[in-house]
Amino acid sequence: MSTCEMADVKSAEVTLAPKARAGVINPMYDCQPAGAQFAGIGVKDCIPLVHGGQGCSMFVRLLFAQHFKENFSIASTSLHEDSAVFGGKKRIEEGVMVLAKRYPELRVIPLITTCSTEIIGDDIEGTLRLCDRALKAELPDREIHLVPVHTPSFKGSQVTGYAECVKSLIKTLAKKGEPTGKLNVLTGWVNPGDITLLKHYFAEMDVAATILMDTEDFDSPMLPDKSIKTYGRTTVEDLRDTANAVGTLALARYEGAAAGEFLRDTHQVPHHPVSTPYGIKNTDDMLRKIQEITGKEIPESLVHERGIALDALADLAHMFFANKKVAIYGHPDLVLGLAQFCMEVELEPVLLLIGDDQGSKYKKDPRIAELKRTAHFDIDIVHNADLWELEQRIKDGLKLDLILGHSKGRYIAIDAKIPMVRVGFPTFDRAGLYRKPTIGYRGAMELAESIANAMFTHMEYTREREWILNTW
Amino acid sequence: MPMVLLNCDTDIPERQKHVYLKSPDDDPATCLPVANAPTIPGTLSERGCAFCGAKLVIGGVLKDAIQMIHGPIGCAYDTWHTKRYPTDNGHFNMKYVWSTDMKEQHVVFGGDKRLAQAINEAFDQMPDVKRMIVYTTCPTALIGDDVKATVRQVMRDRPDVDIFTVECPGFSGVSQSKGHHVLNIGWINEKVGTLEKEITSEYTMNLIGDFNIQGDTFLLQKYWDRLGIQVISHFTGNGSYDDLRSMHQARLSVVNCARSSGYIANELKKRYGIPRLDIDTWGFGYMTDGIRKICAFFGIEERGEELIAEEWAKWKPQLDWYKERLQGKRMAIWTGGPRLWHWTKAVEDDMGIEVVAMSSKFGHEEDFEKVIARGRDGTYYIDDGNELEFFEIVDLVKLDVIFTGPRVGELMKKMHIPYINGHGYHNGPYMGFEGFVNMARDIYNAVNNPLRFLAAQDIRDPLPLIMPERLREAA
Repeated sequence: MSTCEMADVKSAEVTLAPKARAGVINPMYDCQPAGAQFAGIGVKDCIPLVHGGQGCSMFVRLLFAQHFKENFSIASTSLHEDSAVFGGKKRIEEGVMVLAKRYPELRVIPLITTCSTEIIGDDIEGTLRLCDRALKAELPDREIHLVPVHTPSFKGSQVTGYAECVKSLIKTLAKKGEPTGKLNVLTGWVNPGDITLLKHYFAEMDVAATILMDTEDFDSPMLPDKSIKTYGRTTVEDLRDTANAVGTLALARYEGAAAGEFLRDTHQVPHHPVSTPYGIKNTDDMLRKIQEITGKEIPESLVHERGIALDALADLAHMFFANKKVAIYGHPDLVLGLAQFCMEVELEPVLLLIGDDQGSKYKKDPRIAELKRTAHFDIDIVHNADLWELEQRIKDGLKLDLILGHSKGRYIAIDAKIPMVRVGFPTFDRAGLYRKPTIGYRGAMELAESIANAMFTHMEYTREREWILNTW
Repeated sequence: MPMVLLNCDTDIPERQKHVYLKSPDDDPATCLPVANAPTIPGTLSERGCAFCGAKLVIGGVLKDAIQMIHGPIGCAYDTWHTKRYPTDNGHFNMKYVWSTDMKEQHVVFGGDKRLAQAINEAFDQMPDVKRMIVYTTCPTALIGDDVKATVRQVMRDRPDVDIFTVECPGFSGVSQSKGHHVLNIGWINEKVGTLEKEITSEYTMNLIGDFNIQGDTFLLQKYWDRLGIQVISHFTGNGSYDDLRSMHQARLSVVNCARSSGYIANELKKRYGIPRLDIDTWGFGYMTDGIRKICAFFGIEERGEELIAEEWAKWKPQLDWYKERLQGKRMAIWTGGPRLWHWTKAVEDDMGIEVVAMSSKFGHEEDFEKVIARGRDGTYYIDDGNELEFFEIVDLVKLDVIFTGPRVGELMKKMHIPYINGHGYHNGPYMGFEGFVNMARDIYNAVNNPLRFLAAQDIRDPLPLIMPERLREAA
C-alpha cells in the first residue's frame, strides 16, 4: 500500500445503477465492430476486413479520421442482399484474396464480424480455413495470418469490441518460444500521446516493452517524399512473442485485460492488472508494479517529472478546483480513472456516466470501492448511460462546474454554458488532443491545466470574478 | 482503349469497366463506366450503405422529427456528427440521434416491444416533438420485426404524433443510393397528400434535393422570397416533416440533386401532374439559367432578371477576381455522384479550373452520361473508386486541389495536395451566386497555401526548391 494515505473525511453515498430508459438518445459509444477496428489498425501490415454492410466500416473509418485527422485502411466484405439470403462466405473468400493480392506487404487480416453476419450465421472459422488454403496455393511465398474476431453489434460496445479484437489477435498469433525478457503492455484505448509517454517511462526505467497496440504513429508527418506512415507499429512478431514475455502489464480493466488473462492461462505469462494510470497515485502504482515485475529501479528522472506535475497541480487544486462539481463520461476505465484524478486535485466528480451494460462487472471494480471510501460528497454512477442522461439531469437542476468527456456531448456543454474539457474518444472538435497524454504524471498535469484554462476562459466570457486573474 | 485498367487493378480486371479516360473520338454509347453495380469485397471502396442513404442523407436533415433507429447502437452513433446541415431552430437534427439499442435478447425474441418502448420514451422525453422517422437496419430486417405494425399501434395510442417508417437495411442495394430510393418512394406512398398547408402565393414549388449544407437552403431561400415564390416543401434542407406531407400542393417541383431525390419528383409528376424542372444551383451560369427557367414557368421573368442583375452586380466582380487567379488549376472531385456533373463545367466556366479526375461512390450510369457530356477530354471518370486507384490516379493527373471527404482528404494532404470538403464544404454555403464566390475563395486559399511548398522541401537538400515570394494577394 501507498505510504501516502488519503484523508478519510466522511463517507458519502455512491450509487451505481443503469439508466432508467430502454432506448438511447445520443449514444456514448459506437458498437463492437468499431472497437475491434480500432484494435486492428494498431497492428503493422494489417488491414481489418469487416464482414458486414459497407456502412459498418465506412463510418468507422470516418470516425477515426475525425479524431486523428488521418486516414486508416479498413476493408469491407460489402455484404449485399444476396449474401444476406445465401450467406456471406463467398464475400469473405473474395475479400481476403483481393486484399492479399493488391497489398503485397499485408501480413494480418482480422476478419471482424457485425450484427448482420452473426445473425446470418456464417461459419467464420471454417471459411477462414478455406481462405488460408487458397492463400497458400495462390501466394505460396506469403504468410498471411487470418484472425477471426467475433463482434456482433448487439452485444457490448466499442469497449468490449476493442478488448475482443486484442484478445483474438493474441489468441491467434501468440506462440510459445524462447523467452524474450520483454514486458507485454496492454494499454487500452488511449491516444498516441499516451503511447509516447509510456515509451518514455519504459526507456527511463530501462525496461524492454511490447506495446499492445502501438498507435504512436497515428500522429504521422507530412514528408518531402510524400510517403505515408500512418500505421500501427505492433508487428506479427510482437504478437507472437507475447507468449514469451516476463509478464503482462494490463493498464485497462475493460480494454484488453482479458488478453492478459488469456496469456496467463494458456502460456503461463504472469498477468499484472493495474488501475489505468490516470492521476498521480495510479501512475505511482503502475511504476511500482513495473519495478516489482522487472526489478528495475524507478529513476530520479521520474521522481523529477512527478514533482513537476505535483507542483503544477498544487497551483490549481485548492484555489480553483476545490468544491467544483464535475460530470465525467466516456469509457469505463477513463471515467473511473479520471474520477480518482479529480479527487487528488479537489474536484468533485458527482456524476459518472459509463455507456455500456457490463453492470455486474462494474460492481467489482476496486476504483468504485475506493471512491466510496474516500468521497465526502455523493456520487452517482450511471452505467448503460447515454448523453441524454447528462443533458436531462442538467435540465432538471444538476449544477455542474465542469464536464469532462468526448466531442459527441459538445452541445450539452454549449447549450448549458458549462465549461467542458474534451477527453477520451473521439475529440474531433478540438485540435491536436490525440497528441497529448492524459495518463501519467504529465497527462495529469496537462489535463489539469486544460481544465484550469477552460475555467478561466469561462470566467472571462461570463464576467464571473474574471478579475481574480488580474494577479495570479 | 477508352476504358482503363489501372496497374493496381491487375488482379481485379473487372474494374476496367468502371474507369473511363475520355478522348474526343470516343463513341459515347460504348464508353460509359458500369455503375450502381455490386462492390468487389476487400477493395477499400468508399461506399456506405442503404441505411445511411436514407437516414444521414435525407431523413436526418429534417428539423423537427425524431430519428429513431431500430438496431444496435452503432447505426445511430455512426450517422450522428458526420454532416453539416444546420436548421433555423437551433440544429435539432444535428444535436440528437435515437436508437432502440438492440441487444441479443431482441435478436432472439424479436425487437418489436423494444421499439415501441423506445418510441414512447422518445416522445415522453421530448414532449414538444410530435414527428418521427423510424429506420430499420440490417439486424431488424434479418430477424423480421414487424416495424410498421408497431408504428401503427403507437400512432393509435398517441393520436397527436405522426411517424414514418423507412425499411432500409444496410445490406440492401449496393450503396447508399438504395436508401435514397426507399425513402423517396415510401414518403410519396404514405405521407404526401396527408396534410394541406396554407397557400400564400400563386407561385408555389417544392425544392427537391438540396440539403442545406452549411446553409445552402438559407441562401437560396432569399432568392425565392425576393421572387415571391412560396416554397411548399424543402426536400429536405431545413425541411419540416409536415411541409413534406403537402408536396402535392405545389405547382412545380424544382430538382437539384437528381440522384438522391429525382424519384419523388417523378412520382409527384405521375400522381399529381406536378411538372419536374431540373436545375443546377452551384455556379453563376447554372444558377442564372435555373432562376430564368423557374421564372419562365411562373411568368415572372422580369422579377427574375432583376434578381439576376442585382446578384451579378454584387458578386460577379468578386468571382472574376478569383477566376483570373485560378486559371488552369487542376482539380479532382471524389464525392458521392451528382456533384461531379454539377461542378465540372461550372468550375471551368466560372473559375477557369480544369477538372481532371472524378470518382463517384453511388452515381448511376445516367449520372455518368451527364458528367461525361459536361466534362473535359483527358479526364478520368471512375465509378466506386478505391484507395489504391486514387493513389495511381493522383500520379497520373497533376492536381492542385481535390474536393472529397475528410478521410481521403487526409491521405491527399500527405501527398501535398490540398483538400476541400466536397461533402460538407470548408466555409460555405457554396450554392447560389454568393456561394460560388465562397467556393472560389476556398479554392484560392487552398491552392495558395504556403505549407504545400514547405512540405515539399527537404531540409537536408543543399539546393532547396525556391519558394515563391508572394503566393497570395489581398482579395
